Amino acid sequence: MSTPIVEFKNFGFKYKSQTSATLHDINLTINKGEKVLILGPSGSGKSTLANCINGLNPFSYDGVITGSCKIAGMETKNASIFALSKVVGTVLQDSDAQFVGLSVGEDIAFALENQSMPREEMLPKVERAAGIVGMTDFMMHVPYDLSGGQKQKVALAGVLHGDVDILIFDEPLASLDPRMGMTAVELIDRIHKEQNKTVLIIEHRLEDVLHCHVDRIILMNEGRIVYDGVPDKLLASDLLTRYGIREPLYIMAMKYAGCELFPNQNLSDIQHMDISPFEEKLKKQHMVDIEKHVPKIGEEILKVENVTFAYGKNPVLKDISFTIRRGEKVAFVGKNGAGKSTMAKLICGIVRPREGRVLMNGSDYMNLSIKEIGERIGYVMQNPNQMLVKDIIKDEVELAMLLRGKSRKEIDEAVKEALKMCGLYPMRNWPISAVSYGQKKRVTIASILVLQPEIIILDEPTAGQDFRHYTEIMEFLDELNREYGITIVFITHDMHLAIQYTDRAVVFSEGEVVADDSVFKVLSNDQVIERANLKQTSLYTLAMRLGLDPEAYIEHFINYERMMRAHGKQAAD
Amino acid sequence: MENRLLINLIPGETFLHKLTGKTKVRTFIILLVFIIMSFDMRLILPLFILGIIGLRSLEPNWKTIKYFFIVIGAVNLLNIVLFWLADPDIGAYWCGGGHTVLFSLSGRFYLTAETLWYLSVRYIKMITSFMVSLVFILSITPSEMAAGLYSIKVPYKICTIFSIAFRYIPDIGRDFNNIKVSLQTRGVELDPKKVSLKSRLKQNVLILVPLIITSFDRVGNISNAMDLRGYGRGKTRTYYSEHEELKADKVFKVIYTILLLFCVYWIITQNIMPQTFKMWYPFA
Amino acid sequence: MKKVLKTLLGVWNTKTVVAIAIGAALFGVLMNFGGIPVFTNTRLTTAMIVPVIVGSMFGPVPAFITCFVGNTIADLIGGWGFWFDWSVGNGVLGFIIGLLPFYGAKINEGIFKPVHAVIYAITCVVGNAIAFGVITPLLTVAFYGGELTITFLQAFAGGLANTAVLVIIGIPILYALARRSARSTNLVMEEEKVE
Ligand SMILES: Nc1ncnc2c1ncn2[C@@H]1O[C@H](COP(=O)(O)OP(=O)(O)OP(=O)(O)O)[C@@H](O)[C@H]1O
Ligand SMILES: Nc1ncnc2c1ncn2[C@@H]1O[C@H](COP(=O)(O)OP(=O)(O)OP(=O)(O)O)[C@@H](O)[C@H]1O
Ligand SMILES: [Mg+2]
Ligand SMILES: [Mg+2]
Repeated sequence: MSTPIVEFKNFGFKYKSQTSATLHDINLTINKGEKVLILGPSGSGKSTLANCINGLNPFSYDGVITGSCKIAGMETKNASIFALSKVVGTVLQDSDAQFVGLSVGEDIAFALENQSMPREEMLPKVERAAGIVGMTDFMMHVPYDLSGGQKQKVALAGVLHGDVDILIFDEPLASLDPRMGMTAVELIDRIHKEQNKTVLIIEHRLEDVLHCHVDRIILMNEGRIVYDGVPDKLLASDLLTRYGIREPLYIMAMKYAGCELFPNQNLSDIQHMDISPFEEKLKKQHMVDIEKHVPKIGEEILKVENVTFAYGKNPVLKDISFTIRRGEKVAFVGKNGAGKSTMAKLICGIVRPREGRVLMNGSDYMNLSIKEIGERIGYVMQNPNQMLVKDIIKDEVELAMLLRGKSRKEIDEAVKEALKMCGLYPMRNWPISAVSYGQKKRVTIASILVLQPEIIILDEPTAGQDFRHYTEIMEFLDELNREYGITIVFITHDMHLAIQYTDRAVVFSEGEVVADDSVFKVLSNDQVIERANLKQTSLYTLAMRLGLDPEAYIEHFINYERMMRAHGKQAAD
Repeated sequence: MENRLLINLIPGETFLHKLTGKTKVRTFIILLVFIIMSFDMRLILPLFILGIIGLRSLEPNWKTIKYFFIVIGAVNLLNIVLFWLADPDIGAYWCGGGHTVLFSLSGRFYLTAETLWYLSVRYIKMITSFMVSLVFILSITPSEMAAGLYSIKVPYKICTIFSIAFRYIPDIGRDFNNIKVSLQTRGVELDPKKVSLKSRLKQNVLILVPLIITSFDRVGNISNAMDLRGYGRGKTRTYYSEHEELKADKVFKVIYTILLLFCVYWIITQNIMPQTFKMWYPFA
Repeated sequence: MKKVLKTLLGVWNTKTVVAIAIGAALFGVLMNFGGIPVFTNTRLTTAMIVPVIVGSMFGPVPAFITCFVGNTIADLIGGWGFWFDWSVGNGVLGFIIGLLPFYGAKINEGIFKPVHAVIYAITCVVGNAIAFGVITPLLTVAFYGGELTITFLQAFAGGLANTAVLVIIGIPILYALARRSARSTNLVMEEEKVE
């Protein structure tokens, strides 16, 4: 029954441009029909491993293979990327870059076009693949008409033709809203079952992937496999925290409660695991009195009043009102395309309201220019490469001050301060090309901080980043908020982030604000979750199973979590 | 951005839209040869009229097109006026040496019937050329264009350049806007009325560097996605967007083949053979 | 000889195809939305910088194709119609200014020295002289007829604008790009001196 389809034996890989090998001693067998999740911190070699299976290594990225890797009996180093593409289908993270066709149909057909398949044979195959992912009604749509999730579905359909036995997904969930992410996980699961494919998923969002069953988890660190086995055993161990992987929220809650976890407890399935051994401890933990986290909040600094806005005919924002107070941490959450980024642009004055008004410190911002608003509100975009225009870190940070004609002395002081706040001072003379993605993000934040804005808006600050960078950025922002009282607005799809780092959520759906409340209230309100394409976290499920009020349970968890983090900080200092 | 492109990404519904890319590309190329080879009102005028009919049949958005017509019309008018100012007797050479002065302003500036004729031929030729291209642009999609070019034996890697370029133009437009916005919030004045040419040039450097970097950043990802789906595997390829030939395509095939033969004949007899070049001039 | 041919043609793998396509798209966008009008028929456009980049990464033939296709794409997305005399001129210019690898300027490896800037400026002038001083006017007259002096003057104005952009904006951009892709090796953390 179990025929091996992927076989690594004493396998190693070294990129030509690197001095030492990236993968070492890989011994791994994956059987036909298995569903495997690959975890590991950033740079641990997950993508490198996947690319050794699909042939990008060594045929697209030059490198040296040691040992052996057989895919469906083919020794990869003697095969070619084309031969392998008949057996392996790969869906990459970047849903924009991999959509190469000008319409949905064309993109799904791309692989068939490359095989010179006559059009009459091609059509039914494309139709069938689109049917599997549920995109039949969108055949003539162009890429800009589609949401990120729909593009991912198309990418999936594009590799479903013919006889590919193995499907590889390299971080498929990154920019999808929570519901879309869940749908994608379910879709992958359905294809795995119905088409009987071997599936490999690489993903940081463990909790989301565990929404459906996986047979096996492989944990990588520094180019080696450090764990290879069933999910339950991994969840019961402390390997995840040791290697910097975010644990699912319910596992965190159980560990906080002091529950002892064992591999035979069906831990990966929160819906069906036997909860009775933990019930007592979890309930007791819930009773523990902890000091409520009360955000330090000052006076109103921004007020949005009945604002309506449209790019063209159809309004993108409809009659929106909310206020932001000094020192708050607010999350804008909601569906893909709900108008969150547009709201941020509107607050910064890049687009102006058609109706309604925006008040800054009590006065209408209509007669302020973008430049003037920029001194009070900083907008940090998702992609740092689109914001960085200079080549030395210090030059980048001082640009805004220079443009405002400040004196040299003033500039030097402000720049030094901002660089120190971001931990970039020792690297101030480095070229921007020499720093990592997370550090680039910090440079953009520093270049906004020099102007000493009252509010910073961050558009998807953590999308596509691993847990270590994520924690680094978020802790840093938290500190800015605590130490300097800077108000922070996050635009995010990550409910984890909203729970851990913000106090209030403004929920957008189809251009309207459907909720504006504390995070735990929002995440325990079914109606809001439904309307805004959000998703209940596993904490909600856990609370339901314990028969506790989800709202109170999530609030308690948040407070406990914050306390733990504060303690951890103190201990570290 | 995408709504500011003139070319359609999704095929339209009219007669010309429904032809295959192969027919459109071949017809267009032969028509271009036809225009370029002929300095003859008898050939250009019919095509000019056909162009108008073709354009109308596409039911375009006249509002946007009007603007281009006005600009192209004006620029070329200016051009021929300049030609006339440079050499009022320019028509003599083309029309067989006649020199019929219609009116004269001074010894230097006068208008001859031959010059008037010659300049109008050139003017109509330019406008026809513009109109034929416009009909082509409005009737085709980038994918059909790639397929059409492939059908005339252009290597498919070149054809891909067209379709991939159009695929990513809106993305580049979006990046461009984002970069502009981020600079504006940091204090760069981008209102062209408020800044000098010099600082505008400086801003161009500021915007272009990140634009070029983000644009070329995606090359690796895109080419991986293409490699993984077997791009470049074979010597040939087929096109999903190229539907079967309809009856109209077959009719067009007959027409463009005849036209091609005519062009060959005309080029040999009129453009290569005669020693003394002379265009058709009815009033000689 | 073989090596020269290879540097001329570039390596035609998928990456090259995609890079040319992205280059052509950038060219088309900049041509339509990033220009300042100068003379009839001509605009001061920053698009010409794109083939320089492509040339420095992949060689002159890819630069030529980027330019030629980019120009065609600019015509397709704007409403100006096809003018092949100009496309060919642009392509030739692209080829000449795309010769960077031949004199050792490798932008994506961070190599662009003052001597490269000088050679580059010379190729810009020569390239424009050939492309718009000879090729485009001749083609225009051959295709559409007209007065050679005026046609020449127009092309010349276009060429002059091109040269100006290529030199005045191009050199700083090339420097900036080279610096941004140069990965310095001996970077040191500079802590603040305690006073
Ligand atoms: N094309 C390449 N050329 C040279 N080195 C590379 C290349 N791709 C990856 N590496 C190196 O190999 C190591 C592992 O990278 P890889 O992309 O496999 O990590 P990963 O586990 O997928 O990380 P992430 O979670 O960030 O995607 C890194 O140190 C990286 O610098
Ligand atoms: N520049 C623009 N021109 C026209 N329409 C736009 C523009 N930017 C956004 N839109 C449209 O406005 C709507 C809201 O977009 P917005 O980017 O604000 O959504 P979002 O909530 O940030 O989504 P996501 O979570 O996917 O980032 C979408 O339907 C989008 O297509
Ligand atoms: Mg990876
Ligand atoms: Mg957004």
